[in-house]
Amino acid sequence: MTAAPPRTATRAPSGLRVVGREARRFRVTPRFRGRELGLLVLVALSLYIGAISLGATERFRAAQLAGGGPFDMLTPARPELFAIYIGALFAVHAALVVAGRRTDQILLPTVGLLGGIGLLLMERLPQSLAGSLGGLAQTQLIWLVIGLAIVAGLATSVRNDIWLRRYKYTWAAVGVGLLVLTFLVGRDVNGARLTLSIGPLSGQPSELLKVILVVFLAGYLSENRRLLVEESTRIGPVRLPPLPYLAPMVAMWAIALGIVIVQRDLGAALLFFAVFLLLLYVSTARVSFVVLGLVAFVLGAGALYFLFGHVRTRIDIWLDPFVDPSGAGYQVIQALHAFARGGLIGTGLGAGLPLIAGRPPIPALHTDFPFAALGEELGLVGILAILGLYLVLVQRGLRIASAAQDEFRAILAAGLSLVIGVQAFIIAGGNLKLIPLTGITLPFVSYGGSSLIANAVIVGLLIALSERTREPLPPPRRLGRIRRMLDRGAA
Amino acid sequence: MDAAVLAIWVLRLIFLAILYGFLWMVVRALVRDLRSAAREPTIELGRLVVVASPSGEPAPSAVFALDAITSLGRDVNNSIVLEDEFVSATHAALTYRGRAWYVEDIGSTNGTFVNGSQVDGLSPIAFGDEIQIGQVRLRLERARA
Amino acid sequence: MAGTTSGSSGRGAQPSAGRPAAHAYPVTGSAPSWAGRRLGIGVALGRVSLVLAFLFGGLAVGAGYWQVIESSNLSRSPDDAAVIAAARNVLRGEIFDRDGVRLAWNKRDQNGEPYRAYASPVLSGVIGYASRQYGPAGLEAAWNAQLSGAASADPLRDLTRKFRADPSEPQNLKTTLVLALQQAAVDALGKNRGAVVMLNPRTGEVLALASTPTFSASDVANPKTAATTFDKLRSDDRLPLLPRATSGQYVPGSVFKIVTSIAALGSGAVSPDTTYADQPTSERSGWPIDGFRVRDGHHLVTGSKALKFREAVEASCNIWFAETGVRTGGAALVEWSSRLGFGSQIPFDLLTKPSQVTNGGGSLGGGFSDRVELANAAYGQAETLVTPLQMALVASTVANGGVMMRPHLVLQATGKSGTTTIDPSVLQSVVAPGVATEIGAAMRLAVSGTIGRVYTNGAAVRGLAVAGKSGTAELDPGSSPHSWFIGFAPYEDPQIALAVLVEGSGGGSVKASPIAGDLFRAWQAWAKR
Repeated sequence: MTAAPPRTATRAPSGLRVVGREARRFRVTPRFRGRELGLLVLVALSLYIGAISLGATERFRAAQLAGGGPFDMLTPARPELFAIYIGALFAVHAALVVAGRRTDQILLPTVGLLGGIGLLLMERLPQSLAGSLGGLAQTQLIWLVIGLAIVAGLATSVRNDIWLRRYKYTWAAVGVGLLVLTFLVGRDVNGARLTLSIGPLSGQPSELLKVILVVFLAGYLSENRRLLVEESTRIGPVRLPPLPYLAPMVAMWAIALGIVIVQRDLGAALLFFAVFLLLLYVSTARVSFVVLGLVAFVLGAGALYFLFGHVRTRIDIWLDPFVDPSGAGYQVIQALHAFARGGLIGTGLGAGLPLIAGRPPIPALHTDFPFAALGEELGLVGILAILGLYLVLVQRGLRIASAAQDEFRAILAAGLSLVIGVQAFIIAGGNLKLIPLTGITLPFVSYGGSSLIANAVIVGLLIALSERTREPLPPPRRLGRIRRMLDRGAA
Repeated sequence: MDAAVLAIWVLRLIFLAILYGFLWMVVRALVRDLRSAAREPTIELGRLVVVASPSGEPAPSAVFALDAITSLGRDVNNSIVLEDEFVSATHAALTYRGRAWYVEDIGSTNGTFVNGSQVDGLSPIAFGDEIQIGQVRLRLERARA
Repeated sequence: MAGTTSGSSGRGAQPSAGRPAAHAYPVTGSAPSWAGRRLGIGVALGRVSLVLAFLFGGLAVGAGYWQVIESSNLSRSPDDAAVIAAARNVLRGEIFDRDGVRLAWNKRDQNGEPYRAYASPVLSGVIGYASRQYGPAGLEAAWNAQLSGAASADPLRDLTRKFRADPSEPQNLKTTLVLALQQAAVDALGKNRGAVVMLNPRTGEVLALASTPTFSASDVANPKTAATTFDKLRSDDRLPLLPRATSGQYVPGSVFKIVTSIAALGSGAVSPDTTYADQPTSERSGWPIDGFRVRDGHHLVTGSKALKFREAVEASCNIWFAETGVRTGGAALVEWSSRLGFGSQIPFDLLTKPSQVTNGGGSLGGGFSDRVELANAAYGQAETLVTPLQMALVASTVANGGVMMRPHLVLQATGKSGTTTIDPSVLQSVVAPGVATEIGAAMRLAVSGTIGRVYTNGAAVRGLAVAGKSGTAELDPGSSPHSWFIGFAPYEDPQIALAVLVEGSGGGSVKASPIAGDLFRAWQAWAKR
């Protein structure tokens, strides 16, 4: 056999590259996305009603303070904010229609509704709480719009995943680098070293780190899952994967512990480790690995509890916040009170969260306790719906994973959706005193640019990954054949 | 009970109701997708039968069901892994487009052959045709009903 | 170009061994080595999604717990932010005594924000205070939801609270207290530290609940003086902030013999005629039990006579009760005590500390460590600790024919939407009426008998048949004992039961009995009105 003339093409690990290259040859035809449009109309309607109810509540209060009297019932609060937000949602929808890909139509409206609820909450809180770009709600809106732009960009343009799967170790290095950088030059906020400032920009690298982590794990696990289940090491009754393949996992465990010790960020560590274990299970279907990981986690957590004061404090507060109700346990107790005040149907938007001396009872309401705030104002009924929205996101993401064409994409999609689900669980559970409270954001709802952007990246990638390529590809067009002949001639 | 407060409460409850309306529509869509995925069995578009495989991996006479996109090569990440010295890591791809199968060489060193003639670019392939990749020979067959 | 090629496909030229085999599942043919194992990502994904759904289900349950089950508890508690915020602009309900005398009302500071004022410092131990800085205490804390308007008098109105423009409905409280008796109790205690509980044995209505030293609750509630007053109170080593009547735990001494009597007679372990042959002979040297000697102090008076139940109460015979305690047994003593409320918080408007017969955990029945502890506990020493409220309830139970009424402090709560009335209710039928009558007769003898009146000197009142029992709680050597009196009157038709405790008063029961006498007289004067 004689060697064919060498091609310049890179060594693509699968046929996916073909799809990408091939797809570009076709004219982009807009594709109607009816389901997404319908859901977005519903999102817009609910935000409109929510803003009206918030506005009416605020004006009613003002009228009561002024001694009663008539008040305007039907004008939304800050209509321009919500108009811009809803406009941005429809713009993303338009971009997806124009791109004409057969991608998921549920993720965008669901995320849009969660972001809108977050915006309602930010509009409702005292605007002076935070926000360098003109108040709490306005800053949040700006980040939301940037996030939506990222969703649109990734969802329409990402067709090729080589840049993710090829450079997994590069990504891992970037992640570790971010971690080290944060440790070296990061700023301490509330005793945790979370914030990295470069010039005027500042952000929380751990938010971006979670995306990088999932990309690395997807690359590593999809390549090595077969080797991981080959049992070559046995310690007593315990089956271990081959020892060299265990090393990255031990590294993961060490990184999680490192985040706790160095950054004092329990939430991120918990999130990373939980997602890691879930992905390990997804790719190997071995419960024993998860059990092993949990044992390591418990041992590590136990050691941290005895060695580090800040871990101990967190856990002690969780076990009994009423020991120090006005000190360490204050926020947790106030959150529980907020849930209790809400009851079944809530106090209504704008009517809860009593101010004491002009401040809400919980200082970190907009970042760490939005779930408690929503629990108060929307009640049990409202937060069950919100939990339902997160569950929808997770189920949808896992569905995308199970329909993915190959293992890398499957694990990537699973990891991205699990990050959202597990993060929502960790902070909601912390608010409800089901697990120790950690300073982590409620995805799409919490105030904060880093969090919104990282989660936007996740959603954008998920939508891109959801493209249904199992469908037969359209036949190659005649023009292509002619061009190929021309190409051949040129070569 | 105050009329104004009641009116505001109507708004608040409508808001909650729309949240549930949204959730209901989304869950209905999820369930529909799951049902339709379950109803249509994984459409087997065709199968590859191993005619000759000197290395024994894949075993001769093994049969592979084909997806719309099937990649062949020596790398473990291919849909079908061919353990053969003369097969490149990523060698060839089979794609089902419109209503026909196409084969394409995706950068192999030693080339891909259909019924003895080397493939260049995307070429249609019919059921019964024999593909040669390295020393491995495979036959495309119609899926059994 | 060539370099790229060799770089990209170089691996392909090397023969590699041990690589895993084909990717897709073969439909037929020989299966690769791993084919038997489940490797489907789809199955694992399904399980992971179930795990997530399960976790979220847990969140829903947690939210339901806090938002439905614990909702009204937490949202009405004085620590709730909404309750605190409301306190700044809502006028709290006023508090009255049973005769309509105003005990607590509101004033406004220079900003127009309301604060609390109280009729007298003598109320500090029961009404407590409601301070903007330090929160509420006492009755102000217990009924905070009603006083601040967080709870409505009409339960239906509570359900529709959210649909009202002005949801808060402060309620006025009409208490069971009598300011005059409260004043008399504090006056009688004087400079002593101590507590008085007076209640109606028929209804459980508490007429006076005093703790000394008192403090000025008005100064704590006034925002101008709050900080200095409260700091001083907190650092005062006489513990004025401790509500002794409900939260002070004291060794009872001989007043506990009434509890032992209820257990012994109620369980049938002894009868009113039971005597112990070795009791008179042991009076001089002490009754030996397991190497310990139970001492007594009245051998000169009773001489060589073996005492029956009534005489033993009248003479306050430690040996008779020690022997009775051992005969009754630890398990029965603890069980009958628990029917009187020992071992748990007494259901009352104010928080109470539980009383105890023993520390528990011992090998003997009821958790006593040995027979010596049991014998000593039977006459109120050893590890026995009681609150004055608990002992008042013991007296009240005897007075009310063996039935313990639920003690309460509020008669009525009245708001815009109506009035809630608290009716008398039975807390526990402790012992048969016959037994209660027998113990009551013994207590009557302890005040009026020739021997008894020596011990209860000062408790007797002209024109009122008082029954009672005094006690001296021996503490560590060197510290002076607590002085106790529990009793009721009139003997034939009990209307008032009381407990008096004077801390570290020295010399026997000289302190508590005359205070009880003063209080019976004060009650007599109030009841005659």
